[in-house]
Amino acid sequence: MMLAAIDTTALWETVVASLVAGVGTTTIFSVAILGFVRASDATRSGRTVEAALFSVLALVGVIATAAAVVLAVVVMTTK
Amino acid sequence: MSEADLILGIVVFTALAFDFTNGFHDTANVVATSISTRAMTPQFAVGFAAALNFAGAFISLEVAATVAKDVVDAGAITTTVIFGGLVGAISWNLITWYFGLPSSSSHALIGGVVGATIVAAGSDAVFGDGLLSKVLIPAVIAPVLAFFVGGIAIVVAYRILARQRPGPVTRGFRYGQIVSGGLLSLAHGTNDAQKTMGVIMLALIANGTLASDADVPIWVVVSAASAIALGTYFGGWRIIKTMGTRIIKMDAAQGFSAQGAGAAVILTSSHFGFPLSTTQVIAGGVMGAGAGKRVSAVRWGVAGNIVMAWLLTLPASAVIGGLAYLAADALPGASGPVAIAAIGLGATALAFLNRARKGVPMPAQ
Repeated sequence: MMLAAIDTTALWETVVASLVAGVGTTTIFSVAILGFVRASDATRSGRTVEAALFSVLALVGVIATAAAVVLAVVVMTTK
Repeated sequence: MSEADLILGIVVFTALAFDFTNGFHDTANVVATSISTRAMTPQFAVGFAAALNFAGAFISLEVAATVAKDVVDAGAITTTVIFGGLVGAISWNLITWYFGLPSSSSHALIGGVVGATIVAAGSDAVFGDGLLSKVLIPAVIAPVLAFFVGGIAIVVAYRILARQRPGPVTRGFRYGQIVSGGLLSLAHGTNDAQKTMGVIMLALIANGTLASDADVPIWVVVSAASAIALGTYFGGWRIIKTMGTRIIKMDAAQGFSAQGAGAAVILTSSHFGFPLSTTQVIAGGVMGAGAGKRVSAVRWGVAGNIVMAWLLTLPASAVIGGLAYLAADALPGASGPVAIAAIGLGATALAFLNRARKGVPMPAQ
């Protein structure tokens, strides 16, 4: 009887959403750092095209991370 | 002033004292990893967390289903029951602080209220379904989930950043921790200050001061936000040390992964309606980020003590809450709550003095 009170669908959605949000945010932020480090290395070695490409990668990572933070604040304010 | 108003005043004061201990006790959850990885200085970290906890309390002003509403019969709630529950929660918070153990303030509050309700109105006044689905199941799932999220996240981060220069990588994650720590502080302020507001509202309604459908008065919001922020600012360094350095020795990437896992689990769980403990979640994230690098990096003995504190939180705070209610109800009128509040203040002062004499450990600089 008591087990029937457990909302397994919501629990399952929580597990999936937490995995996607937690692992996803760390992944995109790691990609941003990778972009910055590789862009910096390429600039020092005079590889301008590679530096530009990695700078774009870093920028995309930062924007995606910022979007994740904004989404988190929206979730907080609308719950 | 009538006796009922005096008891109400003591309950409101006790609720704000609980809110203070909540901020004081839970500061570790949000700042320990940032401090131990040197993403922030201790003073900046607690000031930053205090400000965001204060702001977080204002983010959502609808009183979320209060801890008592889903777990106990609201008809059984009196101001003395709430007082007993708060005494149980504060006592357990201070006991675990004294021994430097992270434990859940939310579960201490629920345990205290459940214990006082059982003594006051019998076990039929406790909703078993609500206790299982709203408290016990999330209490088991949330830290385990944070453990796996933190563990997978750090493995992915190390894979992406393998063979990169460690200096800039560490600096990058330290900057990231300012954001992830800020999110955790905001989430903590929103979740936990709301619980205190809910308890004060229950007391005001039980006393007949407010109608059951009344809005939360602004003084309740401001005082709850201020109490949790002040508690955070005066943070519990003993628990910060346990969370930040004694479970695992963290690098900045692990700190970011642990905080990211904690924020993700707290926010998604709240979104889907599962109230949970920020303490349990972030500790799960910290252990996961440690185990993801190397299973033996986690000091499993310390982790075992934390698990033991979690297991004891509900029953221990329930027993203290029940006893506090019995004592408060045994004396006539307001003299019971007044006497217990005085004894509690004295015991708290003694515990602080004793700890101060032994020296309060600060986290590694």
